[in-house]
Amino acid sequence: MTSTTQYIGKPFKNVDAEDKLTGATKYITDMRFDNMAWAYPIFSTVPFGAVRQIDLKAARSVPGYIDVILAERIPGENQVGVIVEDQPLLAGKTVRFIGDVIGIAVAETAAAAHRIAKLVEITYTEYEPYFSIAESESATSQFIHETNIACSHRILKGDPAAAFRKSDLIVEAEFSTGSQEHFYLEPQGCVAFPEKDGQIVVMGSLQCPYYVQKAVARALGRPLDGVRVIQAPTGGAFGGKEDVPSELGARVALAASLINRPVKMIYKRSDDIQITSKRHAFSMRYKVGVMRDGTLQAAEITLQSNAGAYATLSSVVSYRSTMQSMGPYVVPNIRVNSTAYYTNLPPAGAFRGFGSPQVAFGHERMMDLIADRLDMDPVRLRLKNVLKVDAKTITGQQLSASVGAEETIRQACRISSWETNQATGSTDGRYRYGQGIAASIYGNCLGAAGWHMDGAGVNISIQRDGTVKVAFGLAEMGQGALTVVAQMTAEALGIDHRRVVVLLTDTNSVPDSGPSVASRNVVMTGNAIRDAASKLLPILKAAAAELLGCGADDVTIGSDLATDSKTGTEVGFAELADYLYRGNQPTEMRGWWHVPQLDFDPDTGQGEAYFTYSYATHVARVQVDTLTGQVQVRGVWAAHDAGTVINPAGLEGQVEGGVAQATGWALTENILVDRGQIITSNLSTYLLPTALDAPPVETVAVEDPDPRGPWGAKGVGEPAFIPAAPAIANAISNALGVEVYELPLTPPKVLQLLEEQEPTAGMP
Amino acid sequence: MIYLDTPEYFDLEVTVNGQRHKHRVPTHLRLLDFLRDTLDLTGAKETCGEGECGACTVFLDGQTVNSCLVLAVETHGSEIITIEGLSQGGTLSDLQQAFIDEHGVQCGYCTPGIVLSATQLLREEKHPTRERIRFELAGNICRCTGYQKIFSAVANAACKHREV
Repeated sequence: MTSTTQYIGKPFKNVDAEDKLTGATKYITDMRFDNMAWAYPIFSTVPFGAVRQIDLKAARSVPGYIDVILAERIPGENQVGVIVEDQPLLAGKTVRFIGDVIGIAVAETAAAAHRIAKLVEITYTEYEPYFSIAESESATSQFIHETNIACSHRILKGDPAAAFRKSDLIVEAEFSTGSQEHFYLEPQGCVAFPEKDGQIVVMGSLQCPYYVQKAVARALGRPLDGVRVIQAPTGGAFGGKEDVPSELGARVALAASLINRPVKMIYKRSDDIQITSKRHAFSMRYKVGVMRDGTLQAAEITLQSNAGAYATLSSVVSYRSTMQSMGPYVVPNIRVNSTAYYTNLPPAGAFRGFGSPQVAFGHERMMDLIADRLDMDPVRLRLKNVLKVDAKTITGQQLSASVGAEETIRQACRISSWETNQATGSTDGRYRYGQGIAASIYGNCLGAAGWHMDGAGVNISIQRDGTVKVAFGLAEMGQGALTVVAQMTAEALGIDHRRVVVLLTDTNSVPDSGPSVASRNVVMTGNAIRDAASKLLPILKAAAAELLGCGADDVTIGSDLATDSKTGTEVGFAELADYLYRGNQPTEMRGWWHVPQLDFDPDTGQGEAYFTYSYATHVARVQVDTLTGQVQVRGVWAAHDAGTVINPAGLEGQVEGGVAQATGWALTENILVDRGQIITSNLSTYLLPTALDAPPVETVAVEDPDPRGPWGAKGVGEPAFIPAAPAIANAISNALGVEVYELPLTPPKVLQLLEEQEPTAGMP
Repeated sequence: MIYLDTPEYFDLEVTVNGQRHKHRVPTHLRLLDFLRDTLDLTGAKETCGEGECGACTVFLDGQTVNSCLVLAVETHGSEIITIEGLSQGGTLSDLQQAFIDEHGVQCGYCTPGIVLSATQLLREEKHPTRERIRFELAGNICRCTGYQKIFSAVANAACKHREV
């Protein structure tokens, strides 16, 4: 693939790096507007209760006070739920977590808005709150919503009961994984300003502009046409700016429309952590039946997740975790039940991997437990069961192409020298060493659960001077979207990449392209670019034919030139662009791509869950300090099948960043909550991996092109995260000779494991 | 910024990126807010506000500090260099160029602080080992890159043997 392309597959420098390096990039926190006021959320200080009284006397005395906005002043609908309509924009009567926003303080300065928010006195009638899945599940009255169940999903394939009876060995285990804070370095923030024509404009740090547009229109009771959302340069998101900016955007838009001034709201870090969504904590029960030769026969899996106070994206997180619950393996007979429970904690929402990392911990710990019980090499067990072309997934989907799972296992073993470096339980004084492997699967784009919104577009416009403007509907948030869009546009039009300018995302420029999530930018936008190029290239060729005096069929376009292939005469792209204008030819085209129709039955969980899958295998090596319980990840070797790689430098950046984030989730990022109040509310207590903690990573791409991906590409942003934590956990287990059943493995937990010391398999 | 009902004020004189400034500032104003809000130098970012992340790093009299932990009044008579002052005249330093070449920038929010911390390191040690680079950047949190390409950028700049 790379040999015939000019840009695809070649390392490409980030187009927005220079401004970020000089401080010139203006994030939403850096932008000022004339006559701008500041807003701050007034939020519940109790986890569950009814608002009895709101006293504004003290708040109104703050110099710079402008307004306090409560629910009754919302002109439209008081609803901001993304999928399930369970979340008010401003809580009126019932509050469901510490952080549930009741009102908006508006003032002349940020400090005054914070002060007002603090001084609003709210009295509550408190209810008995539910914090754990078990508490939520056992409730019989006073539910958080109509019920405490947020959603459920299932798979039933074959005859699991009969298959268990035929199995030589049945292994059972229970696992749990903790929540995780995104800790995007730029906190949540939005600005809204009313325009003279009545339109309201929202700019913000966000990854789903069309979600924000819908939320604002709904709250203000306006048509979509009356709301424009512009994405500001975004300082990290990782899923944390999928659902939450709809709340901020609608709240600042409400304030801006009521006081008729620009209004800005930036969350303070500790409040950002308390109020906004995080990764779902999971409890999982796995029972797997296997033959003596290692062939998986049957599985029964129960997944329970803690959804927090509102559903936000729980239903699609639960869907994804269900569909991927046995990883990249063939299991002919399987039953999966997944349930998300409401609790009085901050809502759990989207976070890189979206339910996949949790089940990857489950299935990859199971594979090691089974290998141990069969006395079989864990790599051989994985290879024996791995999905291949023509195999069927646990949803009964027959895979037709681009199934690089097996090759990722082989390549991860090769680059890590897995076999020759057996470090099992080796000891050096107080340190023990181990290695672990984990494989994973990731369904690309939104899948059957989100197919109705899985289309995306671009608008490519050739300027008279030969520069090319590209508007796209998905968002740059640090992952390199602008860069790959520039690269793919230059490739598709056969032009010099320096001609291409990619615009920041604006709902006025491109139709609703859905959310910038699910690792879908390369696939969606790349295919949309190819669609637009397929409309522009014939126009360019016809114009070139006129200029060159040849037939359009003889014209080839590439390397910034149109060439008459018979005579070799050429015309440059800039001249061609000008000629289009002089000849009154079209110079602008829309491109659109929608994921192919998926045939899926939600009652049985059988069918095409996603249109294609990415695969990855990671090997991790760890050093465990038996004195302190501290784990140092000494290296991760990562093999990824993301189809054709568009930008190898970007892919490596995604993998290294994903591995670092997963290292934090596996070892140190531990959210501690005291009756609904998060006490690890900033960096001194919530421990992110530093430069000393993030492991060196060696990445290899297994390029198994997908015929439906642009140039054969698939997504990699989330797959980068998914296998790393289970690989680390398996390495710790290998180092200590003790089974592990939970994450994070903080130093105290590792010391606990050392005390157990006796290797056990099966139920903990 | 902290809210006070009756703040006290101080006449601050300070040189920032070679330019002298005189401003009457509240005595509780943080250096970070002075730079961002008063001077509109927004390259220094607030991420944690408690001196853990390094996103607000600036040079104060030749040493890197977390500007969220310094009061503006403490810098009276001092010289401050921010990220905006590092590439004056529009030419990137070797180190900044190395971040582009080595793909060391993703979302960019930590980038100004990391560039300044790494600049400090390369002033102290022309050819730091990768271990030293890791150690010296441990006070700057990055959530996107996993740090590896940042280390490579610093090592790459050090190879150029030139003043950064």
